[in-house]
Amino acid sequence: MKKKILSVLLCAAMAVTLAAGCGAPAAETGGSDNSGTQSGSGTSEGIPKDEIKVGFVHISDASDMGYTYNHDLGTKEMQEELGLSDDQIINKYNVPEGAECDTALRELVDAGCNIIFATSFGYEDYVREVAAEYPDVQFCHATGLQAADSGLSNFHNYFARIFEGRYLAGIAAGMKTETNKLGYVAAYPYAEVISGYTAFYLGAKSVNPDVTMDIMYTNAWNDPTVESQVAQALIERGCDVISQHSDSTAPATTAEENGVWQVGYNNDMIDAAPKASLISPRIDWGIYVTEAVQAVIDGEEIPTDWCQGYAEGAVCLSPLNTDIAAEGTQEAIDAAAEKISSGELHVFGGPLTGVTPDGEEYTVAEGDYYHEQEESSAPSWNYIVEGCNVVE
Amino acid sequence: MLNTLNSLFIAAVLAGTPLLLGALGEILTEKSGNLNLGVEGMMFMGAITGLAGSYYYEQSVINGGGTPSGIVSAAIALVVSFAAGTLGALIYSFLTITLRANQNVTGLTLTIFGTGFGNFFGEYIGQQAGGYVAVSQVTKDVFGSVHIPVLSDLPVVGRLLFQYNWLVYFAIAVAVVMAWFFNRSRTGLNLRAVGEDPAAADAAGINITLYKYAATVIGGGICGIGGMYMSMVTTSGVWVHDCVSGYGWLAVALVIFATWSPARGVFVALIFGGLTIMRMYVSIPGLPAQIYDMLPYVATILVLVITSMRESKEHAQPKSCGLNYFREDR
Repeated sequence: MKKKILSVLLCAAMAVTLAAGCGAPAAETGGSDNSGTQSGSGTSEGIPKDEIKVGFVHISDASDMGYTYNHDLGTKEMQEELGLSDDQIINKYNVPEGAECDTALRELVDAGCNIIFATSFGYEDYVREVAAEYPDVQFCHATGLQAADSGLSNFHNYFARIFEGRYLAGIAAGMKTETNKLGYVAAYPYAEVISGYTAFYLGAKSVNPDVTMDIMYTNAWNDPTVESQVAQALIERGCDVISQHSDSTAPATTAEENGVWQVGYNNDMIDAAPKASLISPRIDWGIYVTEAVQAVIDGEEIPTDWCQGYAEGAVCLSPLNTDIAAEGTQEAIDAAAEKISSGELHVFGGPLTGVTPDGEEYTVAEGDYYHEQEESSAPSWNYIVEGCNVVE
Repeated sequence: MLNTLNSLFIAAVLAGTPLLLGALGEILTEKSGNLNLGVEGMMFMGAITGLAGSYYYEQSVINGGGTPSGIVSAAIALVVSFAAGTLGALIYSFLTITLRANQNVTGLTLTIFGTGFGNFFGEYIGQQAGGYVAVSQVTKDVFGSVHIPVLSDLPVVGRLLFQYNWLVYFAIAVAVVMAWFFNRSRTGLNLRAVGEDPAAADAAGINITLYKYAATVIGGGICGIGGMYMSMVTTSGVWVHDCVSGYGWLAVALVIFATWSPARGVFVALIFGGLTIMRMYVSIPGLPAQIYDMLPYVATILVLVITSMRESKEHAQPKSCGLNYFREDR
């Protein structure tokens, strides 16, 4: 009898909490709908500068001295430009590309962020899901490709045409190599990575027609142990300039230990390896982050797909390490950079033939060029060209 | 071909050393009848404290206007990481030996605690230092390859045997000393007796509590040094979030693979290290990298199956391992 009463009571308690639980969010959405209609779709009256809160979700932290470090520089640039205080910026570091991302995004929303940047490729599904639930918060996802198709006005993609920087850095590698064999520490066989190393290879080939390149995957964006092991393996294969699409400086320090050279990514890696690191292409995230936060302050819309390149300064090169670079490297880079800025030179210009990882062939005709990152911000060149040898 | 084999060997030694240190610590622990699953946690604690010890030493010397010495810095890293490992093991020992808590649960908890300890302080010190924490070049040099006159210059052999960082030789020395200790010393014999049958050892007048505490705590210290290898050598003295990431568990598997023998541990660590990096040197057509990366685990399962089939008494886990000893429990 006692048990029965208890279970009835428990059921009643559950029903009450359920009703309360459903009631609260309904009221909340009602509230946000109101504010939405007042201000029109997608835009609002803006948010005063000293009240705005900006959130970031990162896959690692600044200790990678690469991708996240570089994105943090962009954050600082924005903070200084707009004069935000430290407690207006919330960083979530070391968030894996899994359910933890969902939690991190919701925590940022709860903390009152008006705009949230998610900086790793694998976050996209979570960003899309959370963005749909919180129409009043702006979500910006780097390197992704779903914003345009999602139909959400508060979900945006951003990236830069880093392949242009890689092409220019490839020139330094092509002029430096003595074995005519480059090595590339690549994260995953995704278009973003393939587009990057193809551009790097084409840059090297433009000054050194005999050059070939070995590519080995680490299957991680940021795993210094594996990055250094892969770099070591590439060096043993006879590669004498190592470049990377991975987050840390491990390939740079490994190259230096073995007396070969390296082209970095995301950050000037000369400090990490002064005798090895030649140059690094990097993205200046500050331009976009400042624009996006400013748009929220002004109550303006953020573009769905944002992508700029070398000409606009969103992609740049770290200073050339003139102590070790081949003679005339700077001049060659400058000449190519000018042609890229003026639109005279297209990195993926024909005639060019490549094969997808699945074996599908694709050809760019002479006089034509592949319109990489023009329609959407995400890279789509997914073809491995002749001279690039993927080691599996 | 021969060149590839040489390179594979060198890469295997470098990848296998932290595993060897972790496994040696765990062998010593298990010989006393304590199954400490907290190796990963103790390695994390050693990794961050070793790095922090070096870093704060350098900072204090630089702030005082001097130039830090690499050897002092490395010695501090060694001592501090050992101390951190013993601290973790001491928590474990107190809970399992004195309070007789369940060993599996306590070990798992220690892993979770140590992982959080390492990542929290790593990130904290990094933030304090302005983004990331890294030791200076003098310390990095000490943890780089050694150059032994004459020996290192020998063709092939010099490259294969005499140009590693000092922790590699340190790990092998620990293995040799431990093998001698277990098989040739009276104390080692007593320790093995404690691990096999604590009641009988107790009756023979061996201080069970003392032996269990000493073996577990020193074993934990050795695991801590293994963690320090990860932060000082593998990631070149830069704190990288989650840098131990699973190596502690591999070390526990290695103990089984080595069948609780420190000497065999050296060779088995080499095989394990080799298996973790082999895909970069030897390609098997059609085998995806992800499957290739599973090889160390597949090898462990095979060894478990084979040793259990052979039912060898000599190559088995110490009999009382995982059980707490109650004198009154009859």
